Amino acid sequence: MLMTHIVAGYPDIETSEELVQMMADTGVTYIEIQIPFSDPIADGPTIMQANQTSLRNGTTTKDCFQLMSRLTKKIKTPLLFMTYFNIVHAQGVENFCCRVHEAGAWGLIVPDIPFDEEAEEHFLRNCKKYNLHAIQVISPLTTDERLKKIAKVASGFVYCVSRLGTTGERKALDPALGSYLTRVRKYIKLPLALGFGISSRAHVEAALTHADIAVMGSKVINLMNETSKGKQIETVQKFLKTIL
Amino acid sequence: MSSLKSFILNPTGHFDTFGGRYVPELLIPFCDDLHRAFFDCIRDKKFLRELEHLRETFSGRPTPLTFCENLTKHLGGSQIFVKNEGLNHTGAHKINHCIGQVLVARKMGKKRIIAETGAGQHGLATATVCAKFGLECVIYMGRKDYDRQRPNVFWMERLGATVVPVEEGDKSLRDAINVALRDLISDPVDTYYLLGTVCGPHPYPVMNTYFQSVIGREVRSQMEAQAKTLPDCIIASCGGGSNAMGIFHDFLDDKNVSLVAVEAGGKGITEKKNQCDHASRFETGSVGVAEGFKSFFLQNPDGQIKNSHSISAGLDYSGVGPQIAYLKSIGRIETTFALDTEVLEAYELLAQKEGILAALESAHAVAEAIKRAKKMKKHQSLVIHCSGRGEKDLFITAGKLDSENFKKFLKEQSKHE
Repeated sequence: MLMTHIVAGYPDIETSEELVQMMADTGVTYIEIQIPFSDPIADGPTIMQANQTSLRNGTTTKDCFQLMSRLTKKIKTPLLFMTYFNIVHAQGVENFCCRVHEAGAWGLIVPDIPFDEEAEEHFLRNCKKYNLHAIQVISPLTTDERLKKIAKVASGFVYCVSRLGTTGERKALDPALGSYLTRVRKYIKLPLALGFGISSRAHVEAALTHADIAVMGSKVINLMNETSKGKQIETVQKFLKTIL
Repeated sequence: MSSLKSFILNPTGHFDTFGGRYVPELLIPFCDDLHRAFFDCIRDKKFLRELEHLRETFSGRPTPLTFCENLTKHLGGSQIFVKNEGLNHTGAHKINHCIGQVLVARKMGKKRIIAETGAGQHGLATATVCAKFGLECVIYMGRKDYDRQRPNVFWMERLGATVVPVEEGDKSLRDAINVALRDLISDPVDTYYLLGTVCGPHPYPVMNTYFQSVIGREVRSQMEAQAKTLPDCIIASCGGGSNAMGIFHDFLDDKNVSLVAVEAGGKGITEKKNQCDHASRFETGSVGVAEGFKSFFLQNPDGQIKNSHSISAGLDYSGVGPQIAYLKSIGRIETTFALDTEVLEAYELLAQKEGILAALESAHAVAEAIKRAKKMKKHQSLVIHCSGRGEKDLFITAGKLDSENFKKFLKEQSKHE
């Protein structure tokens, strides 16, 4: 299984819509649609710049909800919103989850709201209430003790960060991946997605020997940045076909 | 009644709705380790003795509390005192949490120290303690600050630090914090992030308030010695809030001491789309979550953080420490703002009446004191927190106050190259 990622409004909302449609048509299993944020601390330079450009173009949270609504009417592929907690907080957690549900999304990935803040924010409770999978993110440094707690609140699948660092392409995957994911599986019985640094067919194949879902983010944006406007969708599709 | 002083240092890092630890899972183990190390350290007598020793023999504590006789007469209101943190080694209060944190980092076995800096004072203090303790040091500085605080960049480099200009976003303090957090995410095992204010994820606000609280303790005993009374009012400038928390903390339970935090009013409390003309979070900001903590931020209705403006790099920040936000919410502290123009006037007045050149950050507190002292009674007393000295601002103050001669000087200097 493959999960791909786009930043809503990068380079513009129309292209975002076409991209997601194409990804679904090409056979991608899950698609992450990032609502841009001014301070995306977990993202590397590629996705961060896409966030900035989208915001400069005037993308609002409302635009992202509308994009999601249009897409979920057309395609069956599960779509997720990825964003940072301030975007959720600004709408009110319950209101945000309700609107995401109404837009037809399958789940949410919000990396900067650890379960420890649940008592204050009720984020997980509202995801549950509105039938949204709140995707938990873990790293090679996550302790067994935390894995046990995360297993209890996890839903849909669990996103395993392949290495220390932010999102972005890398030449090779970490050779210790196997033992890391074996440790995770001891506690987590849901499918595992592996992301951060996956940018080629070889990476995807390596990832899928250990995980159930390979996640590709920055690579798609880099491909678009290298391609002239008008040919972007075609270029990304050609690349995805080499993987799927 | 429970003590506000101890609540502000509580080990959960939550202050009602403010504070917390809103970071990606990748950073949680680091925050957990730091939490343990910090609370172990402050229970360890040997650690506390070493901290005390460095404060005395390296930083030069205690810093003086000076009675401002001329300024008091000139304004004709309350008795005015200045707590002069500018006389610390490296010229500002920032050294207080740097000494504390570098001892914690050493205890954690860290080899590489990173830090963000605005005015350059925190970067300078970090580079200084890293030199003293033989640790590798990388300082992130927004390109805007890198250019306007060139002298501090020069000093940091002389101390052996690598100074990296941050070209992202608004190229300001906030962007430097984001880049430092990304660096930490990439290497949370060997790297220590020496965060320079009372912001960021828990335990940073608690830890930095703890290390800065020495300022207020000294003020208490100095006031008792000099004036036989506690001050009626303490005024501090407020960017992230480290100098304000440092001088306020010891007085939180003394309800008769009013505490005033002065934000940067910049060019005025106006704003365009993403750009504020000020850094007054309590004037136009709202509650949000960024850089790992929950507090007041300048932001739009969607939660996009806006850029701030101030004449002083150290106050030019869109967020404010969670403890400050909490103390404001319960009415224990007052907040106000000073405009860039008022700040320059205050800077000149303090210099000419008292012989103290304040940092532009601290001159915000002076500006508020000028307004407030006049309205107070003669038997009352007011303490201005002069958190840093003004030499670092030479290129800004000279540009504003003596532009022609300074330009001529710079032209002459460049000819000698």
